[in-house]
Amino acid sequence: MYVFQCEDSLDGILTGVYDAWASHYGHKNIQLSSDKSGEIMLFNQYITVIPDFEKSRKVSRTLIRRLGIPFYETICKCAMADGNCKKLSMDKANAIYQAIVMALALPEGARVLEYLAQPCISCIFQLCRQTDNEAHYMIEFIRFAELESGILFSMIHPKNNVLPVVAEHFTNRFPLENFLIYDATHKIAGIHKVQKDYIITDASELNIELTKQYSMDEQEYRRLWKAFFDTIAIEARINPKLQSQNIPKRYWKDTVELA
Amino acid sequence: MNFTADFQSPMKITSTDFGPASGLSSSIMEKLMILTDAAKYDVACTSSGVDRQGDGTGIGNAKSCGICHSFAADGRCISLLKILFTNECIFNCSYCQNNCNHDIPRATFTPEEICTLTIQFYRRNYIEGLFLSSGIIGSPTYTMELIYETIYKLRTFYRFQGYIHVKAIPGADPLLIEKTGFLADRMSINLELPTSSALKKLAPCKSRHTILTPMRQIQKGITENKNELISLGMSNGIVKSSMNISKGTIPRFVPAGQSTQMIIGATPENDFQIMSVAEGLYQKFGLKRVFYSAFVNVTQDSNLPALPQGPPLLREHRLYQADWLLRYYHFTVDELLSEDKPNFNIYLDPKCDWALRHLEYFPVEISTADYKTLLRVPGIGAKSAKRIVKARRGSRLDFPDLKKIGVVLKRALYFITCSGRMMYPTKIDEDYICRSLLSDSSQIPKEIREQEYRQLSLFDDVSFSS
Ligand code: SF4
Repeated sequence: MYVFQCEDSLDGILTGVYDAWASHYGHKNIQLSSDKSGEIMLFNQYITVIPDFEKSRKVSRTLIRRLGIPFYETICKCAMADGNCKKLSMDKANAIYQAIVMALALPEGARVLEYLAQPCISCIFQLCRQTDNEAHYMIEFIRFAELESGILFSMIHPKNNVLPVVAEHFTNRFPLENFLIYDATHKIAGIHKVQKDYIITDASELNIELTKQYSMDEQEYRRLWKAFFDTIAIEARINPKLQSQNIPKRYWKDTVELA
Repeated sequence: MNFTADFQSPMKITSTDFGPASGLSSSIMEKLMILTDAAKYDVACTSSGVDRQGDGTGIGNAKSCGICHSFAADGRCISLLKILFTNECIFNCSYCQNNCNHDIPRATFTPEEICTLTIQFYRRNYIEGLFLSSGIIGSPTYTMELIYETIYKLRTFYRFQGYIHVKAIPGADPLLIEKTGFLADRMSINLELPTSSALKKLAPCKSRHTILTPMRQIQKGITENKNELISLGMSNGIVKSSMNISKGTIPRFVPAGQSTQMIIGATPENDFQIMSVAEGLYQKFGLKRVFYSAFVNVTQDSNLPALPQGPPLLREHRLYQADWLLRYYHFTVDELLSEDKPNFNIYLDPKCDWALRHLEYFPVEISTADYKTLLRVPGIGAKSAKRIVKARRGSRLDFPDLKKIGVVLKRALYFITCSGRMMYPTKIDEDYICRSLLSDSSQIPKEIREQEYRQLSLFDDVSFSS
């Protein structure tokens, strides 16, 4: 077995797909892996994939052309997911590779994504759902604070790499705002300037102190929001269990009202 | 109906100053608390039903799936800034804390205050939009005018393109209701009580007539607006909505549809009566949602039940489950309830209950059953049913695959076969299945587990309220 070891990122995995395809070892003899901690097997040959933007772009283009945008988006969402889930039967990168091989080989093309009894498809389905769910949680639960400079700032701690989805949502929602969403898990930021598109950038150097200098009104609106939050609950129905079922505890610290 | 004219006419807006930015007066805090507290028994807080992209000139958009932003201590979703314009009220509905006979602190917002709160909360991603209701101040028409003025300002001056749900005030000038409908995403008029006699008794200032008239008007407005959009080939009349009211596009009328609410347990109607009313509202008034609100006795009025065990939450839960079956699972009320069996089973959800009484339809074969048949299987939801229909084209499905797809096997296993095989050898027998389902205590609602439910016999028609 030839194992292509890719970086755990969309470009990393798609470069892996490109290299594996170009290697002509035969699909049956190839596996992709995005898991660095995976154990080394005696009779496998390991090939390190160096992420290459050009190769990744070629694969993206082919996927979009041959299998359509929804298929490509599914692959992206899967790649964005945190693949360290114990319940998964398969490595994330390998599932993506197998699904692409299958979709390009079969006449039904992108429809193979519906074949949930196939191990690679079931894995992709689970990972996409994981990304979708968390992206949705983020869109619901992230909070912005207005800084002295007028910029809206938000800090999040997602497990999956959902920042692009989240930044896109708020770019459409707040076209006239400058905002910055900081993903503290992956140390990246989504930055939006008034009437521009957003960018995702490395933020390992972000000065957290600066993000705590709130505008004059900020504390006042937080107080008003907390008052609203406390008042809206119906005393006769208090149900903490239902509450934490609906908003998982791990998101509380980044809110205003439950922090 | 002329859809555009009203937007061209300039509106006079009384600009009450919100005050200097830094010194939000404490009275805003007071008002917010009073008018939130006064609004909280209206249970609708969804922001669903309309997809709208921002047009780049203001703030906001809308997603048809709806977005919650937090969950209050009662576990209910917070999606919209749900407030009353005022809790002054000239009416005397006996179940309502705002009724004119009550001695409580009263407050009234200005349109400007509501706009500022909405925008500032929205920018911080606290909320998805505004849900504005009101007590009746002066007259129904005057109240409606204030609501209209507020959302007019929010839509035009602040260019707010997020979600707006407003109440239509029964008895208000129809023209005002129409103008409001072109600015709001959803409108609602609460039916309050399932029968007109109950309404007469508890809400003497309201009547079926004043409630159903605006409901009918909004229904007609929605249909005419959709037809107009379709005839212009602008859309299928269902999804995309534009806020470009200034640019001469045809505005949408209440694009997220109409909803209503009934109070459950304040009056003696049974579930069959309540669900029949709901079914009628869906079929005859084209309502998008009917909400059920477990009665909380806040007024201690002698006409109302005391409910020492708290509000009838389990009953409310069953009604929502049944409502779901009507809207998405092609069930009719007659299949679920009857004169002889007028209340839902407290132990089993309405779908399980139905299935146990119709074992002749089961087991259902996963590899061949059509979508509608799959929908009727306990443990199979609409999403899983769709996935099954698609996935089985690729390969044969077995029980572990169903689990991954999202089927709740511990409920479904008594009702399905995969390639002719059941998951475990099991009898298709009502008592047997019922006992097996109930042996899993997570199937039994908490409210019952905490009572000594063993003392009751399983299919007793226990009433929830009592
Ligand atoms: S009209 Fe009736 S329900 Fe509405 S606020 Fe007044 S008293 Fe309450």
